[in-house]
Amino acid sequence: MGGFFSSLFSGLFGTREMRILILGLDGAGKTTILYRLQVGEVVTTIPTIGFNVETVTYKNLKFQVWDLGGQTSIRPYWRCYYSNTDAVIYVVDSSDRDRMGISKSELVAMLEEEELKKAILVVFANKQDMEQAMTPTEVANSLGLPALKDRKWQIFKTSATKGTGLDEAMEWLVESLKSRQ
Amino acid sequence: MFAKLKKKIAEEAATATPRPGRLPRSYSKESITSVGADSGDDFASDGSSSRDDLSSQILRRNDQIRKLEARLSDYAEQLRLMQKTKEKLEIALEKHQDSSMRKLQDQNENFQANRAKMAEGMALALEKKDQEWMEKMAALEKEKSSLAARLEQSLSLFQKRDEQDELEGFQMQELAKVKHMLLRKEEQLSQKERELKLRGEELNTARITLTRTQDKLYELGEEHEETRSVNAQLRAHRDKLLSEKEEAERRISDLEAREEELQQLIQQVSEDFQKAQREARSLQKSMESLQSEHDELKLQHEQHKGKAAVTEEERERLLANLQEKVLSLERRLEANLSQDEHLQELLKEKSSLEQRLEEARGELLEERTNHTTAVSSLEAQISRLNTNMSELQTLLRHKDDSSRSYRERTDAQIADLEQRLNDSSERLRSLEAQLEEKKTQREQLQAEWAKERERLQQQVSTQRQRGLEKTAKLEEEMLALQREREAEISSHQDNMRLLEEQKASLLKDRAEMENTVQKLSLELENSKSELNSRQTVSVEIAKALEETRKQREELQQQVNKMSESAHRAEQEVCRLSEQVGVKEAELSSLREELQTALSGLSSLQAECEVLHTEAEEKEAQIELLRQEILTHTQHADTNQSKESDAQGEVESVMAQLQDEEVCVSEQNGSVTAGDVDELQKANKELEQQLSEKNKTIKQLQQRLAELKRTLQKELKLKPDADSESKEKLQEGKPTSEAPVLSAASTPALGSGPGPGLTTHPSQIKVTNSSDLTDTREINFEYLKHVVLKFMSSREAEAYQLIRAVSVLLHFTREEEDMLKQTLEYKMSWFGSKPTPKGIVRPSISGTPSSWM
Repeated sequence: MGGFFSSLFSGLFGTREMRILILGLDGAGKTTILYRLQVGEVVTTIPTIGFNVETVTYKNLKFQVWDLGGQTSIRPYWRCYYSNTDAVIYVVDSSDRDRMGISKSELVAMLEEEELKKAILVVFANKQDMEQAMTPTEVANSLGLPALKDRKWQIFKTSATKGTGLDEAMEWLVESLKSRQ
Repeated sequence: MFAKLKKKIAEEAATATPRPGRLPRSYSKESITSVGADSGDDFASDGSSSRDDLSSQILRRNDQIRKLEARLSDYAEQLRLMQKTKEKLEIALEKHQDSSMRKLQDQNENFQANRAKMAEGMALALEKKDQEWMEKMAALEKEKSSLAARLEQSLSLFQKRDEQDELEGFQMQELAKVKHMLLRKEEQLSQKERELKLRGEELNTARITLTRTQDKLYELGEEHEETRSVNAQLRAHRDKLLSEKEEAERRISDLEAREEELQQLIQQVSEDFQKAQREARSLQKSMESLQSEHDELKLQHEQHKGKAAVTEEERERLLANLQEKVLSLERRLEANLSQDEHLQELLKEKSSLEQRLEEARGELLEERTNHTTAVSSLEAQISRLNTNMSELQTLLRHKDDSSRSYRERTDAQIADLEQRLNDSSERLRSLEAQLEEKKTQREQLQAEWAKERERLQQQVSTQRQRGLEKTAKLEEEMLALQREREAEISSHQDNMRLLEEQKASLLKDRAEMENTVQKLSLELENSKSELNSRQTVSVEIAKALEETRKQREELQQQVNKMSESAHRAEQEVCRLSEQVGVKEAELSSLREELQTALSGLSSLQAECEVLHTEAEEKEAQIELLRQEILTHTQHADTNQSKESDAQGEVESVMAQLQDEEVCVSEQNGSVTAGDVDELQKANKELEQQLSEKNKTIKQLQQRLAELKRTLQKELKLKPDADSESKEKLQEGKPTSEAPVLSAASTPALGSGPGPGLTTHPSQIKVTNSSDLTDTREINFEYLKHVVLKFMSSREAEAYQLIRAVSVLLHFTREEEDMLKQTLEYKMSWFGSKPTPKGIVRPSISGTPSSWM
């Protein structure tokens, strides 16, 4: 009964918010990206033990963006948040060549989840302002992205502190979310 | 809250403790069966494939044979040698087969004997346990039936209560439906109202446009009036000009009249002048006449003078005569005195003559005076005439002057007048020109005005037409709108009527519902009274129930103990049956292997024989087949040896780990390097399995540690209340671990990773307790953060967090579902509150499941 009414009212009052997860290893810049997207400023962050959730409006689309902490001990809890996710923003520290393998294994484990089968994947090759940063193609190859099948994905080179590349990525995400509806 | 949590944790601990014993068992079973299956599959596939593919192989080999026939001659020699070796090998094979058969039979016999013994023992134990159990069950069933009989009454009561709740729920739902329908109707109404408002706004805009056009019309009218006023002004100007013209004409006529007057005057003056001339002429004539008179008079005077002088001379001669006479007479008188009378008469006559002379003299004198007077008068007259003449001459002169001046004056005046006339005529001409100009201007202005007027009239007419059209349109629109409005109003009224009908029907329904509710409430009251009456009964029952509950608890405890023992027995049975199963499986697999090997051997032998009989043409093939046979037999050997080696390996591992009895299996003499490799592979697999199991153990240990931590925290808060449970827990753990250990130690064969699992926790406990503290702290911080967010965030976000919270707090599926339902209830507007299971209401259906 309640479900019937809730569905009726959700039909009456517009579309639901898009649910987006920001994932990635610790120190990749997820929280900075979240607040860069929400308030457009660079905020000083501390390691996220837990998560941050903010509502971001972009091009008349409302996103409920979840930034989940990426520390090793709390990475297993990511899967608790996978249900009803429309898109995943996977943030990679382009200058951290050593942990690229760990990042890849986490990404692969995440993409195998049944609940994320329909989610769109956007990879942010972050920290492009660093000198030793890898190029997006390098990052994509080291993450094994070209081998992905049945998955709509795209990689963008970004710098959360400089604010470059985020708009293009969000533009692509909005377009692909709209086209998917 | 915490008590519940504690209970939950205790329950979980109770349920979790046997798990580590059971889980690896299942894994071990799987692993063993999988290993066995793999090996069997390998073997079977090898054998079957060789047989199935034989035809193809033969075909292929025929080709090969053709090629090989060239080499046949070479091989023939070799064949002979090989035949010798083959014979040797056949002998060896037979020997080996015999020995293996013997070995297998021995093993089989041993196993069967063991199995029979164990089966007997187990059957006995089972029978005993069954008997005990049946007795216990019978007693329990009796008690249960008595309890059920007692509980039925309360059950009916609860059912009634449930029914009442259901009815309430239905009523709520109905009310919610009605509310929802009303809301929708209200929304529709508001929509219609909004539409009406919109129409009204359109009307207003139309009106505004109308007013605008009217304003325009007014403006045009004003313009019209302005032009009219301009026209009037022009007209007034024209009138003024006309009046001016008239005035000028009047003035001209005045001037003309004056001119005429002046001309008349001039004529008069000329006439006067003529008169004066005539007068002068007459005066000259009179003067001339007077002069002639004067001349005449002068002549008369001279004549008179001459006459007077003649008369005077005559007189003087007469006198001289008379004086002589007188003298004559005097002489005489002397001569004649008698003459005295004659002398007197002559003296009288002389006196008379002297008197007459004197009279003549007087007369002369008089004449003379007369004459002088006449002359003087004439002279006076002449002087007078002369003065008169002079006067007249002066007068004439005057007149001349005056006439000249007058003429001059008149000339000047005339010139002046002529000039003035010219001026005036010029002015007139200019005025006329002006007038003409003005006229032309006026005409132009009139023309312009007419044009403008026409234009304005056209504009006015067009605008009026437009305005009329617009007004017509607007009126049409208005009419249409009014019609629509009326239609809408009628529809609204219809809707309203429908709604009212619905409302009436709903009200009826509601009344009915209320009636039913009243009935139900009456029933409720009745049932309440019944309830009250029954409550007393139920109180008693409850008392009885409590007693029974106590009894039940006691019984439960007993049952628990029993069930634990039963569990253990069951576990033992299970283990034993599993072992039996494993062994049976092993046996069957071994038998199968043997049979397959035997069949393979027999078939191969048959083939061998057939091939032998098929003569030397296919000796090469036979050789190959023999080689195959050899490999097969080797396979069989290796498999067998692998089996035994694996068993031995496992046993040795077990022996190394547990320091228990070492069952040294007979090692086959033919252990080759390949076998060692395979063994190493198996070992690796086992090690991998071990590591996986270790991981799961670690996770389980983390959970256990967390639970312990929470328990310890709880214990710190309430050390007295939970000391018993802790002790229980501490007691429970070794008891739950002990059978596992004992169970793991007993099976000598099979279940490789099982004992590995059970032995590890003690080692990991020691090593990981220090490493895991910081990760646990992070986990705890994570838990804190998530729970905090769960409590503080919106419902939509909280709904997403249910999974995380339930994973972190190890909720069961029911608890998670309950949480989801409550959140859905909070988020939705309608619907009844979901009844949480196992917390609020002690429902009958829930309790038996907890201890059955």
